[in-house]
Amino acid sequence: MLEILGGLLALSFGAGLVGSLSGLGGGVFIVPALVIAAHMPMTVAVGASLISVVATSAGASVAFVRDGWTNLKVAMVLECATVTGAVVGALLAGMIPALVLEVLFALMMLQSAYFTLSKQDDVLIEHGDPLARRLQLVGDVPDAAGNPTHYETVNLAAGGSLMIVAGLMSGLLGIGSGALKVIAMDYYMHIPLKVSSATSNFMIGVTAGAGALVFLARGDVSTAIAAPVALGVTAGALLGSRMLPHANVHVLRLVFVVILVLIAIEMGWRAFQGI
Amino acid sequence: MAASTDIRTQTAENENRVLRFWTPILLRTILTVAAVILIFGLILMTSKPDLYVARFRAAQAHHFADKESFPELVALAARGDPHSVMTLGLYVLTLVPLARVAFSFLLFIRERDYAYVAFTAYVLMGLILGMLLGSIG
Repeated sequence: MLEILGGLLALSFGAGLVGSLSGLGGGVFIVPALVIAAHMPMTVAVGASLISVVATSAGASVAFVRDGWTNLKVAMVLECATVTGAVVGALLAGMIPALVLEVLFALMMLQSAYFTLSKQDDVLIEHGDPLARRLQLVGDVPDAAGNPTHYETVNLAAGGSLMIVAGLMSGLLGIGSGALKVIAMDYYMHIPLKVSSATSNFMIGVTAGAGALVFLARGDVSTAIAAPVALGVTAGALLGSRMLPHANVHVLRLVFVVILVLIAIEMGWRAFQGI
Repeated sequence: MAASTDIRTQTAENENRVLRFWTPILLRTILTVAAVILIFGLILMTSKPDLYVARFRAAQAHHFADKESFPELVALAARGDPHSVMTLGLYVLTLVPLARVAFSFLLFIRERDYAYVAFTAYVLMGLILGMLLGSIG
């Protein structure tokens, strides 16, 4: 028993650490780790991952919310879109063949890799559109000199539409879909990247929570797997968030892109073998 | 017009201040409680290693039925069943988002910020609906 438990804890600790350092979240790494290394079926891996994503999101959000990086109002508006997608995705996950899920997973990995490589500088908007202003989707972010710079938001409809897709992928695949969420906020709504990342992390808890509740209520979560995975991923993510300020971000980014592409190839190959 | 904008800004600032103070406390408290329950369950499980290995193999074969009703689960956990203790810990963990959305919902009602009452109510309904649909499906 102890070998299995130790192996699961080590595997999930590693996934949490890498997920935290890359900013992509533990889910992207724990699902393939469970499928490839622990020989778990995709549904079991997705259920365990969703629960661990809730834990890591909550853990990281404590500091981000307290320090003002998370835009709470943006999160609450966009959560309406992600929760809709997540519930539909989690309900469909039990009906869609594992083969399709593995192909989708591989594609999401490649999208995350592309996103990691193509991150660009912020383009802040001083006057947002009327709907965003009415909903107070505004905030302040420190500039390079540490002075607060005001930002407003635009394109709520476009951002919200992409959030539905992010929620759908999260419910289907057990990942936080952080990369898609950040694209929706940073690229479409012009929210500063750091605020987008912190807000995405905060929202991931609700997106994954919606999916996790469906899985738990359906009896599709294996407690023997999910419990150690949740603990391991959380511990790894907490260590990663402490290591991040001292890490060489450019080197890390390249390493993670290689890992993501390799996992995408492995998952795609498994799907191909299953045809 | 300017006065109503000022009031709206003031309300938003007040809401942000309360949320920024209480949300981290709420998150940390529930997360700690869940972690303690999960670790306690794992420690209990070490007294029944064969049961754990059987559950692990069942998960690999996707032949498991972890679907006790909530009262059954609590009763089993109270009797020290390690598997039920861990499942209870997982339920507590998934309460994190539910609790923080519920807290925001109540705050927005108090502040009479009806747009955000509607947003948080929708998210709460989504979370609850997900649980109900999962139970039925």
